[in-house]
Amino acid sequence: MTGILIVAEVDAGELRPDFRELMTVARAMSATVPGGIAIALVGAKLEAATRQAARIGADSLHVIDDHRLADPWPEAHAAALIQLCGELSPKMVIAPRTILGAEMAARLAVHCRWQLVQDVTQIEATPDGGLKCLRPVSGGAVAATVRAGAGPWVVVPRPRAFTPDETDTGSVVVAPVRHAFEPPVLATVCEAPKRIAVEGIGIDRAQTVIAGGGGLGGPGPFGLLREIADLLGGAVGASRVAVDSGWVQASLQVGLTGKTIAPDLYIAVGISGAIQHLIGCSSAQVIVAINSDASAPIFGIANYGVVGDWNEVMPAFRDALAGHAS
Amino acid sequence: MRVVVCLKQVIDPLTPASTLTLDQNDKKIRVGIVAPPVINGFDEQGLEAALRLREKRKDIEIVCLAVGERFNSDVMKRSLAVGADQLILVQDASLDTWDPYPIASALAAAIRQIGGADLIICGRQGSDWDNALTPYILADLLALPLLSLAKRVELNEGNRVEIERVLADGSMMMNAPLPALVTVTSELGALRMPSVSARLSAARKQPRQIALADLEVSAAPVRAPEVIDLAIPVTGRSCTFIEAADGPGAGARLAETLLQAGAIRLGGEGQS
Ligand SMILES: Cc1cc2nc3c(=O)[nH]c(=O)nc-3n(C[C@H](O)[C@H](O)[C@H](O)COP(=O)(O)OP(=O)(O)OC[C@H]3O[C@@H](n4cnc5c(N)ncnc54)[C@H](O)[C@@H]3O)c2cc1C
Ligand SMILES: Nc1ncnc2c1ncn2[C@@H]1O[C@H](COP(=O)(O)O)[C@@H](O)[C@H]1O
Repeated sequence: MTGILIVAEVDAGELRPDFRELMTVARAMSATVPGGIAIALVGAKLEAATRQAARIGADSLHVIDDHRLADPWPEAHAAALIQLCGELSPKMVIAPRTILGAEMAARLAVHCRWQLVQDVTQIEATPDGGLKCLRPVSGGAVAATVRAGAGPWVVVPRPRAFTPDETDTGSVVVAPVRHAFEPPVLATVCEAPKRIAVEGIGIDRAQTVIAGGGGLGGPGPFGLLREIADLLGGAVGASRVAVDSGWVQASLQVGLTGKTIAPDLYIAVGISGAIQHLIGCSSAQVIVAINSDASAPIFGIANYGVVGDWNEVMPAFRDALAGHAS
Repeated sequence: MRVVVCLKQVIDPLTPASTLTLDQNDKKIRVGIVAPPVINGFDEQGLEAALRLREKRKDIEIVCLAVGERFNSDVMKRSLAVGADQLILVQDASLDTWDPYPIASALAAAIRQIGGADLIICGRQGSDWDNALTPYILADLLALPLLSLAKRVELNEGNRVEIERVLADGSMMMNAPLPALVTVTSELGALRMPSVSARLSAARKQPRQIALADLEVSAAPVRAPEVIDLAIPVTGRSCTFIEAADGPGAGARLAETLLQAGAIRLGGEGQS
């Protein structure tokens, strides 16, 4: 039997860095969930990721490396996870809140009739053998405390809610256990993804993010944000209005159905500050808002604000930065 | 062919948090001031997907289905005004729950009762509890393939449904044989406005009410975790407003302020 099984998602051949946040949750829970911490690595061409995962300090590593798992095909990836859970009988599965990870978690929980606790920002075991967790609901307007009964549980931590685990595991290396992929008949079919390359660094890795919203009025002004991002060594982000209007690609979206980020500096330009947007950026250390409407809710969570038209404010902001940089 | 669109009635997600009240006895979120509910935004987009399918294939019947404690009929009838053929409401006090299992069980029973569906369209998640789980349970109960996060839905010859699924960094084509369940995301686009003629003919249509007791609802296979407390998180920061004679002045002063405060480091050092 396994205690805790962590789903390690692979991105461009490497473990996603936020894997360490899941590891933090696993370490905290391992006191009450005995049986050790195992890692599930599911995908194709996993040599590099397997080497990384072997040194992360888990007790065991289980790998399904199969060409059918090359694309982020939800049904196939979920089938592989369900197969591993069948073989390992974990008491708790921890999955990342990514598009693929959240779907694997949902499919696993529904298939096995296990309790799913999503978007968890705090977690503790209760004396009666259950779990007590905190999670945002209603777009983040409300925090709900939920109690799950006896496990097994599928836990999906909220990104950035847990500090990444930095335990020095020294030279401990576990030997990967390889499992052949034996899926049931899969009902869905997927084609290879069409990927849109992100210009510059991604918003989830940048320490400065400057994001534009509906107030920019079109795709053009994002060029100005890009210039400022380049001066600051940062990334350009966006609200859902800018994404749904087709001004920028979806990978730039910050918020409930976009990314959760925690940069040192977040600059929101022409973004109203709807709760579903704020949940994605409120952990930034410093928040700056530029909005022509003094009553925009974004000012409620900003450290610095300018009430004004971005057309007038932002070119001067760029010029002042460029003046200092040169 | 029949397309069932699942519509959830929710509190307007743009209701300011300051006007929400928390019912700690029932563990429910209520709107303090009387604000009308809305159809969950993603579900409206699901209806838009169904209407687009019918533009290409005339033999499509669009049935909207909602289960819940009670409905604002004017709000739900918006689905008829934009062109749905039928609106079915299953009302029961037991359906006022955050738990998606009894909800999905009721939806499954209602769909069976009306003779099934060739395609079921759901939103990616409800904006009330952000569960994003009902479609998975529904697909499981009805043993249907599920394709999620569609920004585009097409019906192919050979009775397959094909979607373009959004990914964090692009998109991916997926397909499945009918009957199937599809969830849609906001990139699909907004629900159209009702035409005058559609609105008039909708005014004459009435939702069909089905009592939960008349459905053969199977017991929910498992229960969701229980909500034991609700709280409005405090997220406020105190905002220093940058004052200047004009916009450009404010922009320049903002740069100075951030540099002095150490919030900005020029040259892009320190990226992880
Ligand atoms: C379930 C659900 C999930 C959602 N998920 C997300 C999500 O992940 N991310 C997200 O962002 N949203 C999300 N939303 C949408 C969210 O509710 C808002 O609709 C959205 O964030 C609004 O974007 P915006 O502020 O850019 O646009 P708008 O609401 O159009 O606001 C534009 C702002 O720009 C200002 N402005 C206008 N002109 C100027 C100017 N010249 N200079 C300066 N300022 C100007 C205006 O005062 C206004 O405040 C979600 C909604 C729901 C219901
Ligand atoms: N009470 C309901 N009535 C009809 N459809 C629902 C209901 N609850 C959930 N759904 C559907 O399931 C999707 C996901 O909801 P949820 O699991 O509550 O986040 C919604 O977008 C709806 O399409």
